Amino acid sequence: MSTIIEASGLTKRYGSVRALDDLSFHIEAGRIVGLIGRNGAGKTTALKAILGLTPYGGQLSVLGHNPAAERDALMRDVCFIADTAVLPRWLRVDCAIDFVAGVHPRFDRARAAEFLKRTSIRMKSRIGELSKGMVTQLHLALILAIDAQLLVLDEPTLGLDLLYRREFYDTLLNDYFDKERTILLSTHQVEEVENLLTDVMFIDQGKLVLDSPVEALPGRFATLKVAPEQLAAARALGPFYEHESFGRPILYFENIAPALLEDLGLVSSPGIADLFVAKMQGVAS
Amino acid sequence: MKHWPILIRRELWEHRALWIAPLVVSAVIVLVSSLVGHTNVGYENPVFSGNIFEMVIVTISVPLYVTAGILVITYFLDCLYADRRDRSVLFWKSLPVSDTTTVLVKFTVGLVLLPLATYVLAAVTGLLVEVISQARFTASVTQAVPPPWVLSEWLRVQGVLLYGLVAALLWYAPYAAYLMLISAWARRSVYAWAFIPPVLIALLEHLLLGTNFFGGVVTRGFGEIMRLAFNLGHEINISIGSVFGQGQHPGPGGPGSSRMALDHPPDPSVLLHSPPLWFGLLATVLMLWVAIRLRRYRDES
Repeated sequence: MSTIIEASGLTKRYGSVRALDDLSFHIEAGRIVGLIGRNGAGKTTALKAILGLTPYGGQLSVLGHNPAAERDALMRDVCFIADTAVLPRWLRVDCAIDFVAGVHPRFDRARAAEFLKRTSIRMKSRIGELSKGMVTQLHLALILAIDAQLLVLDEPTLGLDLLYRREFYDTLLNDYFDKERTILLSTHQVEEVENLLTDVMFIDQGKLVLDSPVEALPGRFATLKVAPEQLAAARALGPFYEHESFGRPILYFENIAPALLEDLGLVSSPGIADLFVAKMQGVAS
Repeated sequence: MKHWPILIRRELWEHRALWIAPLVVSAVIVLVSSLVGHTNVGYENPVFSGNIFEMVIVTISVPLYVTAGILVITYFLDCLYADRRDRSVLFWKSLPVSDTTTVLVKFTVGLVLLPLATYVLAAVTGLLVEVISQARFTASVTQAVPPPWVLSEWLRVQGVLLYGLVAALLWYAPYAAYLMLISAWARRSVYAWAFIPPVLIALLEHLLLGTNFFGGVVTRGFGEIMRLAFNLGHEINISIGSVFGQGQHPGPGGPGSSRMALDHPPDPSVLLHSPPLWFGLLATVLMLWVAIRLRRYRDES
């Protein structure tokens, strides 16, 4: 399996603030990686560095290119949606298609048109006349018609209603993703992408808090719903986070043998959303 | 260069005024001159008629060039700023078009294509006005067919105008690059950033040092380029007013002074040996380079 992104000691400062603090990670081909963090955690900065949109420190290689120096070449193989509704309001839908077809060697006009047929977007409409959800549909149609190796999405569904959000990710999985392609997406709405991801990266204050394939999470993390009388014994095993649900304490453990927990209460695997909260709160405490 | 046609079309989609406004002005000129104009040349006396003929051609083009000038200034200030303001720059940057290409296309559209299109439109508008005027004239007077000198005179004037236009474009290239630089740099208020600092610097220099060096450099005039381009010598002080304005309102000296530039054969040797021209072009290259760097590396978040 080939490496798509390789970062080593990736650093970015805004004045005295470290937006990215010595990040090192690699992303393999054919994965759907969620870069998850709260607002201001450094997600967008990391994606911008990967796309060559901002200067950075450290080593970074994306599809074999140095994004800082070879952004133009990189953009032939990488697509990104940086934000919802950044398509220019004055542009007409058919002109948008003409433009991308004119500049992108890997754009398939028929595919974009076919996708747009499934929506209520009219070819002669100006983007300013479309709803935010429709603008995102159009942007997705343009991107899906490009045969790119890497798709980067930065909070792609922010501000959209539930139906558009669901449709966005369904389209992404059904019409775009295959084992040849890689998707890197950032979000703080973890629940939305939980079932989509093959890998997760949690980022907080510019540092990676977790970097793991999803399939490895159940073996690595466990939650224990514990009876009050067993609480002291459970706490002695060193949970990294603890909270209460319906009056019952739930303890989060990392790298612990399930056998140690089983006698103390109900053991299960945390979902990504719960794990994210636990990791963030655990870091905070 | 293969992306240039679609990139140029994109500029015309965004800045529709670039082609709509000149067409409207041209239509108004043709309409007004066909309703009230009385520009028939007469043709009996080639020298006198030729003077009037030239004046008509030049006068008709003035509103078009003034319109183009305003459009070019607003275009340059907007072209690297508007998409940063609405964040659509992130969409444009997601496509495989280099920032160098983007900046150079916009520079070419504003400094080369729009002025040349204006030149062609002015020529066509002038022809239409002449044809309409001729038709009215023919209906009332005996001489029906324009003599051959009309065509050769028209071609000569068009040639001189084109040469003057190219000289002016080279001369004003640094202004274009400066406006693009401001457009790429300013986070808001591009117009204030473009015009207030030069005025302030010139004022301060004048107040503190009593000199006008900076003001002189930045306001190098239309008269100067025409003098250089047509090798008119320093004793003749022509300005936009004297080149074009007197055609509309002949002064005591008659239309002769207004035809000074038009009657001189184009002579690029003085212009091409003029240090200000080359300093200007060097400044153009430098400012465009900075604009490209800003476009490339500026973090728009």
